[in-house]
Order: sequence, then structure tokens, then C-alpha cells
Amino acid sequence: MKSTTASQAAPTDISTTGTARKEPRPAGRGPRRGIRRQLPTSPWLFAAPGLAIVGIFILYPFLSTLNNAFTDKRTLIEGDYVGFANFQELWHDEMFWIGLRNSTLYVLGVVPALVVLPLLLAMLVQKHIPGITFFRSAFYTPVVASIVVVGLIWVWMLDERGLVNALLEAVGVGKAGFLSDQWLLLLSAMTVTVWKGLGYYMIIYLAALANVPRELHEAAAVDGAGAVRRFFSVTVPAVRSTMVLVAALSSVAAFKVFSEVYLMAGPTGGPAGEDTTLVMLVQRVGTGLTGRVGYASAISVVVFVVTVALMLLVLRADRKEDA
Amino acid sequence: MRISRNPRRAVAAGAVLAVLLPLSACGDGDDGGGSTDASGKVEGEITFQTWNLKANFKSYFEGVVDGFEKKYPGTKVRWIDQPGEGYADKISADAAAGTLPDVVNVSPDLVAPLAKAGLALDLDKSASKYEKEYLPGAWKSHQIPGMDGTYAFPWYLNTGPLFYNKRLFKDAGLDENKPPTTYDALFDDALELADKSDGKVATLANVPTIEDFGRYGVPLMNKEGTGFTFNDAKGVELLTKYKKLYDAKALDGQALTATPESTGKKFLTEAVAMNPGSALDLEKFKKDAPRLYKNIGITPQISSTGKDNMYVMGVMVNTKTKQTPAAVAFAHYVTDAQRQMEFAKKVAIFPSTEGSLDDPYFTKQDGKDETRVRVAAAKSIKTAVNYTPVLFSEQMKVELRNSVAKALQGKQSPKEALDNAVKNCDRLLQQS
Repeated sequence: MKSTTASQAAPTDISTTGTARKEPRPAGRGPRRGIRRQLPTSPWLFAAPGLAIVGIFILYPFLSTLNNAFTDKRTLIEGDYVGFANFQELWHDEMFWIGLRNSTLYVLGVVPALVVLPLLLAMLVQKHIPGITFFRSAFYTPVVASIVVVGLIWVWMLDERGLVNALLEAVGVGKAGFLSDQWLLLLSAMTVTVWKGLGYYMIIYLAALANVPRELHEAAAVDGAGAVRRFFSVTVPAVRSTMVLVAALSSVAAFKVFSEVYLMAGPTGGPAGEDTTLVMLVQRVGTGLTGRVGYASAISVVVFVVTVALMLLVLRADRKEDA
Repeated sequence: MRISRNPRRAVAAGAVLAVLLPLSACGDGDDGGGSTDASGKVEGEITFQTWNLKANFKSYFEGVVDGFEKKYPGTKVRWIDQPGEGYADKISADAAAGTLPDVVNVSPDLVAPLAKAGLALDLDKSASKYEKEYLPGAWKSHQIPGMDGTYAFPWYLNTGPLFYNKRLFKDAGLDENKPPTTYDALFDDALELADKSDGKVATLANVPTIEDFGRYGVPLMNKEGTGFTFNDAKGVELLTKYKKLYDAKALDGQALTATPESTGKKFLTEAVAMNPGSALDLEKFKKDAPRLYKNIGITPQISSTGKDNMYVMGVMVNTKTKQTPAAVAFAHYVTDAQRQMEFAKKVAIFPSTEGSLDDPYFTKQDGKDETRVRVAAAKSIKTAVNYTPVLFSEQMKVELRNSVAKALQGKQSPKEALDNAVKNCDRLLQQS
């Protein structure tokens, strides 16, 4: 009985107490024992730098934001715990609801376009024809371009005296307030987001399309299916999981949009702040020497909860489809 | 010391330490701070931070630093410059982390929160002997309502005229040699210009800001500095007039989202007829818009109070400095009459030191447009006022701007919009 217990406890003993080291080494098992002894420590050593980085740059800021959300901390003043007061204030803050509305509209406007258009684009550039690399690169260029540069170019184009309005005027439509009308401004920003994201998701779809067996298309074609039928019956089911991934990624990115709207609508968030998104609101109320860090943190917590909910929603929808 | 012989625990403890040790450095950085007594020996190393000045004035500041180090052997000044964009954010990050430089270039609205947090040295206590060297108004510009003391040395001042496009005035049938000099004339001319150009040429490109309310004669704050008052009858009157301009397209259609940069560009491309500016802009017009420069008209700022608006820069000393005498001495050295005069001759700014504006450089005409602007501005600056209250934060500016936009769009009446702006700004003031 005693010997059984000892042998059961052996692995723990070797790694913790060191007692086993005193025991005679069984012939031919030396190296294996050595590996077993190192196993528990070495993964931690390898992971330590990564853990430290995660801890410092992700975990600590996250926990700190969570903590601040329940305080009235300001930039230069530590503040006190105020319970749910910040969240209660959010409930009555008109700008918060405007931000939530715009961020939600952004998801609704941008995600369907970013799920469908890059797929169509990927199918176009999937073909191996001469010069196709040029088009692939051209469609990918906006992805690598700086968002500030992209924003400025679009602002110039959509300005009252910009290229787009000049064209509209030339064809007799008249000028449109792309940068001054509340809804057109939001739509313009969405257009920029879609334009800039097309190439990125196109690459993801290209990888997915490469894995669709050609035989399926050929079999469908033999059965008399046209291009449209093949698209819906072969391509879409084959890349469905990629579409879910794109939907999840783009919805989170769209809900957290900042740069496009900030660059096009200006620091006030459009006329009377009507184009402000939630992240813009975080930046506006939480930065500067008089920034309300606690209140901005409360908005950040809401953004976090909504983005997690969005992810779960998309993944749940995918699971339902599978069932 | 007992060291755990359990490797898992040891590694886990190491990982936790690796995470927590750096975090322990992320405190408020309060390491005790320095003395407020500036009377000791001027020595030691200090840091000096400027606001976007290195690109154009590197040699000037290197000369200032060299001069100071020669005057006070044993001192060392490390000059750092920060970009204009996000300067307030940089200062707030430094202040929160306890890494604010010893001597910092600030504006009055930046000084206020720093002083409230106890980070700006009260010069009335530490350096009052220098007060007489500066213009009284400039010295007062870094005083904060509700607090005793002066929290930065006044540095350079800036003001400027209104520029107008003579060609656009002429095309609209207006006398290009008689620009508006009163608000009533400005609004009348703007409406006529919009009408004659069929709404294609606006006169102004920016919505009224807090300075505009001040210049119009609207009381901005109560005397105690505890509440804003720009929603009075005069404020409502100004906003009502702007609403009329907006409806008539005499105010640019993109004014509600405009920034100073975009407004300047509108004037440069002759899309708007008038824009405030400074002597610096003349050079820009000459270089970037020769056609505009040929038609440029220059007229004094329009003000109902008889006092122009001016912008004030200051140099504050961090209370946490370890070298208070050296920091105070350097802040004074940078802003003294000799250095300010030298700097003014390099760039179109105006010194805040007593008597400097009487220099022939600011009083004698030589027939050039730049000189004309400089002399006129120097004359006006003696009585000019910084209309932006020192307690008016960035967040408050956004509140006012959004309320003004609602009024101009007709979503709220001017009275309702200003009442809301005052209510929100008061709330922010109480929270600051």
C-alpha cells in the first residue's frame, strides 16, 4: 500500500520537493526524467515575456478602465468611487445616445457591404489572367494607406468645391453637403470605411476561395447551373464560415469606428456633434487636462460589452446555421 | 531569505513580478517635488518644453539656451519641443505621470488645470520681483478666477487684423475700399455679398466662438468665476444675427464643421470674403495665393468693446522641479524684454514686456504691408484683451460649438441653445 502511494505521488515529488533526485536513477531513463523535470517550468519561462506584455499593455489597462468606470477620476485628480453614478449619467446623456445610435448605424451600414463586396471582388481577381496581380495590388492599396491620408483625400473630394460636387454640378444634379449634412456625412464616412476595408477582406476571401474544390463548380456546371446559381449553391456555402469571420471582425471594427468620422466630421463630430460615435465621445470627454477619465471609462465599458455581445451574436447565428 | 524550491511557483512569482514591477512605476510620479523658494543659487539641470517652435526657430532657442548657460555657469538646459497637434494631451499625460518638464510653454487655459492640481508655481510668491517688467494685462492673463496667484510668466502675444478679398467685395457691388468696421456693417455687407453672388460667396467661414461673443460685448463669466453668462440678451442677439447669415448663405455651408485650418483654406481659395489673421498670413498669401494677395484688403478687427482680441502665451514653472531657482531664472530669461524683442523680430508676434512695444520696429511705417499690419496690431495690442476665459476648457468649447450649430440649423432657438451651452459649461466647470 505504501509503495503504491509513493509511486502515485512520484511525478509531483520529482517536480516539487526534489526528493526523487536522491533516488537511484533507473537505468536508461535519465534523459526522459530530465525532460519531465523541465517541463513544468520551461513553458512558463517561454511565456513570461508574452505574459508580461499582455499584463502590462492589455490586462492592466483593461482592469484599470473597469476600475475607473466606478470613480469620478479626472486627468489630474485621482477621484473617489462613485458606484454606478457614471452609468446613471450616461443614461441621461444625450451625446451618449447619439454616439450609440451612430456606432450602431455604422455596424448596420458597413458590415453587410464588407461581407458581400469583398467576396465579389475576390471572385473577380481570383482568375489567373495576365495583369491580375496589378488589380489585386490596386485593390489592396487602400488597406496599407494611412487612414489620415485616406481621410484627407476623401475630404478634398467630397468638399463643397471638391471633385464629386463638381461632377454632380456638371451633370445638373447640384451640390450635396457631404461634409455638412448630418446623414450624408455619416454615409460618406461609411463609404470610406468600406473602400478602405475592401482589399483586406478580399485577401481573406481569396484564401477561402482557393480552398473551394473546383470539381464542385464543374459538377454544378454539368448539372446546368449558371454562374449565379453556382455562386449561391457552391461558393457561398463553401465560404460561409469565412463570411461569418468577416462579419464578426468588421462589426467589431465598425462599432469602434473613430478615425474616418473624426477626419471627415471634424473634432466636434459633425454639425452639433450629430455624427459623434461612442469612441469619439470617449476621446472627447476623457482626454486633455480637464478630461473626465472616470466617465470616459464608463463609456469604454459600454463599448466593450456591446462589442463582446456583437461577437457572440454573430457566432451564435453561425452555430444556428450549422445546426 | 527563503526562496521557494518549487520551480512552478518560482516562475509564476517571477511572471507576476515581471508584470507588477513595471506597473509600480506607473503611479502618479509624485516624488516629493521641489521647493517654491526661488532665491537660492541658480544651478543644476532643467528641462524646457516649447510648443511647436523647433521647426522654424531652432537656432534662436539654441542661442537662448547657450546664453543662459553662460550667464549661469553650472546650469544645463535640456530643450524639448512638442508638436502643435495634441499638445494639451501631451502635457496632461506628462502631468499625470509626473514627468512634466521643469519649464513649460503654456497658454492660460492650459495653466488653469495645472495650477488647480498644484503643478504650476505661483509666481506672486516665488518671483513677484519680475512683475513690473511685464505689461499689467499680460501678467494678469495667467491668473485664475477663484485662486490667488499668477501661474506663468507672460510670453509673446498675438493679434491681427481682418483680411478681406477686395475683388469679391467689388464683384458684389460693394466699395472695396470701405470694408465693414462695425458688426452691423459686417452683417449688412455679408448679406449683400451672398445675395449678389447667389449664395456662392460667403463672407465668413466660422461659427461664433467664445472670443466672438466677448468681442461683441457679451459678458462671458460672472466676477467670481463660478459660472458662465454668455446666454444674456446680447449673446442671443449675436447668435440670432449669425442664424440670419447662415440662412442666407452669407456664412459658409461647412462652417458648422470647420476648423481654423479649413477656414483659412476657404479664404485662400477665395471661397469666403473675410477671415481673421495675423502679419504671418501675408507671407503665406504672397507665396500660396498670389491672386488673392493682389486683392488683399486689411482692416482692423471688428469689436463692440473697443478692444481687440489677443492670444497669450506663457511660460510656467513646474512646482515639482528639483531646481526651482534655475527653473524660475530660466523662465524669466526666456521671457525678458531682450529675448522677447529678439523673438518678435524673427516672427510676427508681440512682446508682453513693458516698453517693448514702443520700439520703432512696432511704431515706424516703411510702406510695406507687413509693417502696416505689424504697426497697427502693436497699437491695438496695448489695449487688447484675451477674451477666452482661462477656465474655458476644450470640452466647453465643444459644448458651445454644438449649441451654436443647433441654433444655426434651427433645431433650437438661439436663447434655448445658449441656455443649454451655459448649463453644460457650468456643469463641466463644477466638475473640473
